Amino acid sequence: MPFIELKNVIKEYRNTHALRGIDISIEKGQWLNLVGPSGSGKSTLLNIIGCLDSPTSGGIVIDGADISSFSEDEMAVFRREKTGFIFQQSHLIPYLSAVENVMLSQYFHSMADEKEAMEALTRVGLGHRLHHRPSQLSGGEQQRVCIARALINSPQILLADEPTGNLDRENTKNILELVKRLHEEEHFTIILVTHDPFVAQWGQRVLTMEDGRIKCDEFLCRL
Amino acid sequence: MRRKWFLFFFRRSVSQRKGRVAIASAAVTLAVAVVTAMIGVTFGIREKLGTELKSYGANIIVSSDKGEGFDPSLTDRIRSIAEVEDVTGQVLGTVIINRQQLEVIGMDRGRAKEMGWRLTGRWPEKENEVIAGISLKAALNLKEGTAVSVSKDDNTREFIVSGFIEKGGTEDMAVIMSLKQAWSMYSGEGRLHTLLVRGRTGMIEQAAAKIRELLPDAEIKTVRQVAMAEEALLGKIQMLMLLVTIVVLTATSISVASTMGANVLERREEIGLMKALGASRSGISIFYLAESVLVGLSGGAAGLLVGAAAAQAVSKGAFNSYIGMPVYLPFISMIMGIAVALVSSWFPVQNAMKYDPAVILRGE
Repeated sequence: MPFIELKNVIKEYRNTHALRGIDISIEKGQWLNLVGPSGSGKSTLLNIIGCLDSPTSGGIVIDGADISSFSEDEMAVFRREKTGFIFQQSHLIPYLSAVENVMLSQYFHSMADEKEAMEALTRVGLGHRLHHRPSQLSGGEQQRVCIARALINSPQILLADEPTGNLDRENTKNILELVKRLHEEEHFTIILVTHDPFVAQWGQRVLTMEDGRIKCDEFLCRL
Repeated sequence: MRRKWFLFFFRRSVSQRKGRVAIASAAVTLAVAVVTAMIGVTFGIREKLGTELKSYGANIIVSSDKGEGFDPSLTDRIRSIAEVEDVTGQVLGTVIINRQQLEVIGMDRGRAKEMGWRLTGRWPEKENEVIAGISLKAALNLKEGTAVSVSKDDNTREFIVSGFIEKGGTEDMAVIMSLKQAWSMYSGEGRLHTLLVRGRTGMIEQAAAKIRELLPDAEIKTVRQVAMAEEALLGKIQMLMLLVTIVVLTATSISVASTMGANVLERREEIGLMKALGASRSGISIFYLAESVLVGLSGGAAGLLVGAAAAQAVSKGAFNSYIGMPVYLPFISMIMGIAVALVSSWFPVQNAMKYDPAVILRGE
């Protein structure tokens, strides 16, 4: 049984059809990249899988649970327990240090643990920037904090929406190498949205979307 | 442990928004100060008014229809059955002083002090001391310590005037002496001519009816003018206080709500992020509502101090004396501060809980 299974998922916003019947299966531990032009529905699909949004119709089963009919509270619990998010903008709390931003994620999950948060930041190469505020960190460093924050509660799914969209090529590569290393170590499932062909090469599968539909589904030989 | 981290993140959050918290606290301070001052002054006015009105006498007057007078023990009986504020008895009569026929009022010395009369000199302390109305001072050329010869029929006694009272009524032309002294001038010893009853505001007619049941032969009059004036004035003061309170609380609530609304709007991204991290609605709301409680507590405490000071300043100006504040006032002020802050921020916070994190975090 696939870890994530979507059947005829439709999402409509008033008169806009963001998703027009998506059917996909994703195995546990797979790294799936969602690519496609702006407005193709890739971010909507990511948000629905991550329980940040709910579908208009269709079935979504993740790890045996039908999340398509989840209430708002159940969606919050699902996000807390199963997912970790990385966004294009870092969305770090500006008045908290790097380690405190990671601890905030722990706080909402269960219990803040400073030592564990510091270890997580050290793993992403920020052991020397633990107590710096976001404004004192570079874009690449901010994304590293986001990765540490997303993975601190050991989620089963890492959802990344254009995580390297604001970074230059070198920082993009560094971030992707970091994600690859962590993926190999922890075997979480990755769904990553990008429109950058360089980023799309990283991972095991690329799903190309267009106008709310899956245009192409290909498995890569890399990784 | 969880509380420790809640307080940690809460402190960090508030320290970032000292300005907004200060503005909201100032608005709550203003509201609490005005309402605290209103309550304080109203309470004080009630107390002062009660004292002032007491000087105009009782609001129920009971006199003996047959002229036999009343037994002094009746005062306690009336107090127990009619639930009134005060009952006192008087001996009324006329005496001759310096060949002039003058009114004499015999009353309990302790009660006389409570009447709120303006006194020049001192209250009588010795057995032979009396006080005189201020008009008698000029008419008989009296001074403190002057001895006067008081006659009733063949009974003549000498008293020392220890002070003068001023009320603005017939008492100003009377000699006021103790019941014992009055009884010594009259043959009807141990009897009271008039019972002066002070019924509770709003309960005067009921008290009069109960006294009527107890003393069916007595003539019972309610001093309606005094009573009604007292009730009407207090009613108007309370109505004014209520109106001002409503206006001030509404204005403050709007101010705090707009400050909190701006605060929440400014933190949309933070709220979206918290939601993405899996925080529940209550988990997020508690951060903002705790901020409101902080605003309410600080505004309530500051408002209490400012309001109490303002009430004292008003009282000093109006009555030339300070007023006693009700003991429950600090409690009311703090509760009011917290309630205003909580109610005002409830709707902006609930509105913020409807934010779609996916939309906010995309930067839309």
